[in-house]
Amino acid sequence: MNRNFCQTITFRCADPAPIIAMSEEWDRNQATSDIMGYMGSRVLADRERLGYYVIIAEFGVVDPNVSAADEAARNNARPETQAFADRLREVIDGEPEWHHFDELYRTDR
Amino acid sequence: MLVARGIATAVAPEGGLTDVQAELLGAIASALTGVAVDYRSLELLEPLGPEELADVLAARDAGYRHRIVHHMVLGELVLRPIPVVVAHRVATYAHALGVTDDFVRVARRYAQGAYGLAWMDLQRSGFVEHVRDADGDQPGASVPSKLDPFEPAQVDPELEARWTAFAELAPDTLGRRVWEMYDSRGFGLPGSPGGAPAYLAQHDFVHVLADYGTNLKGELEVFAFIGRADPDPKGFAWLATLIGLFETGYISSTGFFDRDVRERSIRAPGMHQRIADAIRRGKVVCDAYGVDLFDVDYSEFADRAVGEVRELLQMPAKSAGAIDSGSAGVFDPAGMSEKQRRFAAQRRGDDT
Repeated sequence: MNRNFCQTITFRCADPAPIIAMSEEWDRNQATSDIMGYMGSRVLADRERLGYYVIIAEFGVVDPNVSAADEAARNNARPETQAFADRLREVIDGEPEWHHFDELYRTDR
Repeated sequence: MLVARGIATAVAPEGGLTDVQAELLGAIASALTGVAVDYRSLELLEPLGPEELADVLAARDAGYRHRIVHHMVLGELVLRPIPVVVAHRVATYAHALGVTDDFVRVARRYAQGAYGLAWMDLQRSGFVEHVRDADGDQPGASVPSKLDPFEPAQVDPELEARWTAFAELAPDTLGRRVWEMYDSRGFGLPGSPGGAPAYLAQHDFVHVLADYGTNLKGELEVFAFIGRADPDPKGFAWLATLIGLFETGYISSTGFFDRDVRERSIRAPGMHQRIADAIRRGKVVCDAYGVDLFDVDYSEFADRAVGEVRELLQMPAKSAGAIDSGSAGVFDPAGMSEKQRRFAAQRRGDDT
């Protein structure tokens, strides 16, 4: 079974617009780059805590011999990912929190 | 036969080729080579690995090898889901054949479940870059220029007037027949509110010339034909998109066409023969005419008889097999959707 993997990035900021623009730019670049585990992301706003946001980045298997979690680890090591993280830190307040999850169930598979 | 063995080995899921794969790939191989190829019997033979297939195709040029890879991709795209192992295997074959192809990557994204990225990739790699490459950007050119063929249409009275003028042309001219196609179905003319985007409307001339209907099956035929008639392998994007819309549902909307998988058109009886014949006809036009049919200035041919334009493009007739399999003509009610048939009946004043 191909188990997907998710990375969440939780952060606080005054204006999410630059983050959304960065995410769109990231997707455009990924779409025409060599395929890797990254599948897409969502940027969510916390309704209870104004100014808090979470990015959910999803990874899947593209090579039967490499897990989605390993694909995500490879993604983290890429210079463009590091650059994204650096830019993120410039537009948010404080440090982001990173969490990592194996997917156990989803409806649409 | 060796090539077909390689394709079969590349695209077979764990349980073996599906019926749709075997029928479609067999029909295409038979239509293009004139030799009956039974993909079911190929499965009984030894697999042919990527390096072995590369040896078989060593004397063939890059374009030929590229088309072989597209047959593999086609064999993948009709699967839902596409097993990751199949998509990865096809990429291995493409690499062994020395072919770098964007559609191999798109199929891998489908297999992964990254449908959003896949559509972005297909749009950018298959259409935008291709159209940009082909865009002469010449002042006064009559061929509509668009970087994105699915960009929403603009109201353009001058363009609408050019299309409306086709109604005044002599019967059986290309322009008149295209106008009749629009009029009989209630389609909005390009340039009118709700009309088709001008670039996409180019394919309606091909509906008339190649004599394909305008229901989902007819659209699959016409885009299989147009895609293969394009000398640039990126023309494959059209068929890949239509399969994603009308067979597997990998694509939800292009802005102009919306997903409709109620009929699962490719697996409908006879469709493998019809698609294969459309690809065969497209190949003949590609070899003889060698121009992307979206780049043709059809306004130059609008006052010529349809038959004359077909000769100019060296367009072969449909095969008997395709017709026997239900390939309907553009003015045949069987080539219309239910909604189009109802409109046509009302237009004729029928009670139905």
